[in-house]
Amino acid sequence: MLSQALGTVMLLYLGVALLFLAAGLWASASLNRWGRLLLGAGLAAHTAILLARWWNSYHLALGHTPLTLFSEKLRLVILQAPMSNFYESLVFFAWCLPFLATLTFRRYLKDYLGTVVALAACLLLAYASLGGVDSRIKPLMPALKSNWLLIHVVTCFLGYASFTLGFGVAILHLAQERRPRPSLPPQPQLDRLLYQTTIIGFLLLTLGILTGAVWAENAWGRYWSWDPKETWSLITWLIYATLLHARLVKGWQGRRIAWLAVAGFLAVLFTYFGVSFLLPGLHSYLT
Amino acid sequence: MTSIRLTVFLLLILAVVAVVGTLGFPGLYYSPWFITPLGLLALNLLSCLVKGLPQAIKRASRPFTGEMALALPERGRFTWPEETAAPALVAEALRQELGRPRQKIFGEKQVFFYGRGRLRPLGPYCVHLALVLILAGGVIGKFWGIEGQILLQPGVDGSYIELEQPEKSLPLGFLVRLEKFQVQYYEDNSGIPKEFRSDLTFLKDGAEIRHAVCRVNDPVTFGAYTFYQSSYGVMPSGPIQLEVSQGDKRQMLDLTLRRWVQLPGSETQVMAVRVEGNLQGYGPAVQLAYRAGAGHPQVTWLLQKHPEMTEPLGPFRLALASLKLEYYSILQVKHDPGVWWVYGGFLLLLPGLYLAFFRPSQRWAVVLQKGRKGRWEGRLLGASPRSRETFIARTDRLLDRLQRGGA
Repeated sequence: MLSQALGTVMLLYLGVALLFLAAGLWASASLNRWGRLLLGAGLAAHTAILLARWWNSYHLALGHTPLTLFSEKLRLVILQAPMSNFYESLVFFAWCLPFLATLTFRRYLKDYLGTVVALAACLLLAYASLGGVDSRIKPLMPALKSNWLLIHVVTCFLGYASFTLGFGVAILHLAQERRPRPSLPPQPQLDRLLYQTTIIGFLLLTLGILTGAVWAENAWGRYWSWDPKETWSLITWLIYATLLHARLVKGWQGRRIAWLAVAGFLAVLFTYFGVSFLLPGLHSYLT
Repeated sequence: MTSIRLTVFLLLILAVVAVVGTLGFPGLYYSPWFITPLGLLALNLLSCLVKGLPQAIKRASRPFTGEMALALPERGRFTWPEETAAPALVAEALRQELGRPRQKIFGEKQVFFYGRGRLRPLGPYCVHLALVLILAGGVIGKFWGIEGQILLQPGVDGSYIELEQPEKSLPLGFLVRLEKFQVQYYEDNSGIPKEFRSDLTFLKDGAEIRHAVCRVNDPVTFGAYTFYQSSYGVMPSGPIQLEVSQGDKRQMLDLTLRRWVQLPGSETQVMAVRVEGNLQGYGPAVQLAYRAGAGHPQVTWLLQKHPEMTEPLGPFRLALASLKLEYYSILQVKHDPGVWWVYGGFLLLLPGLYLAFFRPSQRWAVVLQKGRKGRWEGRLLGASPRSRETFIARTDRLLDRLQRGGA
């Protein structure tokens, strides 16, 4: 049931992407309004699906470990947040994109930028639904049973989402530079959006790394163990740190910053997908 | 040492070496290839701190005064009729658009001013100091920390830590006894453990000092050491008994771990390689190597509850008649005086990032005075060294309001 509903949300995001694209091509304010409305509807449905899966996951866990105390139940609710396997992480990642875009730059959520947001969310959901990803709810292994799980995953994926938005902005920036088009947002605006998404992503990624380190210290007695996921998140962090220094101290703008954002996003992609499938480690979703 | 070019270069070098390290060279992170640029980056951070921090503190501790407000660049002008209660209107407009302004009178000029983000200059230095603390914590842990493992069987006392680097044993100075070790599996046949825990007793000079339960994500500290339930293992507590059938003939065969045994009346030899308590949800299992004569050994699994899942070895059908298992606990043991430095760095990093990126320094002032014809003439002043865009948006909104009459 939930997976069918998720399929509908995916199609809705696809429709929104097309609406925003058409709005960009024909400079139509009413198409943009529709796009925003439908994106809001998609986000609401997506949120409801996440909550429903959370509820299911909680009740399944309650079946394994019956609890009576309210505080114990509350802790189980926190532990059973639907973010503990690859499928759930894809669905949550997809949710973060429209959520963050609505939260941080609602004013620019239109035309091509709106297309980027809706399309990225649609692709992630498509992968989750059609990519042969195991969608079953699995019981948690002991290492994942930590209060740090929720905050660690939420900060990491919101950070990834912010970098994804930044990547979209960077691509528009590069397109604008190659062949200036009045229908694209002006470059100073893109430059500012790129900076904003980068600082938000950087703060969240930093938080994600810190919470992960504290968690690892608590679970294994090691805040850093050069696990491939850790290392790649550090690489990503270093690239964005470079971007911020280049912009704030050296005053770089425009094309070079956009390329750094592209490189940073590739590192994000590898941190998320590449490490999970190519490099074995603590975070490998396949084990 | 302080140049930004060096910083960017070092950040990128570290990224590249880290990439290479994930391609199967984990030792790289402790080699000069990584430590050298990391050390240089630490020096770079330190020199940046030494050079800039005093000035940043001076700037952050200098209050925003009326005199400084008057020196801000002009952003726009407005004129109001004589009869308006201009000072009150200006103060109210500033309060609503920005925050409660302060006021100072210079002769005929009344200055209303408001500033925010005074601590912004400290942000980057907080971040850099935090990173230095984290690196220092790592170094302290490396040189003055102790890290190793203890393998404990139930009822056995442990008194030594097996260090990882260098490989040697270190006396704990007390005893840790594993009273009981429990592994629970989920009942959905996934083979995923639900919980594993060690019930520990710490003894010193023969006296029991403390009982504690060590679980995953729930470490126990005793003396200078912290014990983490990192893993567990399983081994047979007696002989592994196989039932070997050939046609109607049945025979029992006892195996010991890692020893070849001849199947009765044949060339084939078998050896128990390892045991599992719950192999992928199928219950207890033995991994068996077998070879016929001098042939190359092959490997198969033998499941206690599912003998039908193992192919016969030629004419022989094998089943696991009895397998007594004993779990042992693997505890990670650590003493790390650097960890508080690292956590201190973490705590400092957050306000640092907030100040550096989300708290731009912005200042505004409105200078009000009576013109020659008795009308109120006002000038809006303001400046923000960084994040020009939000500053301009705020300034435009404020100016618009003032030019419309302040309401």
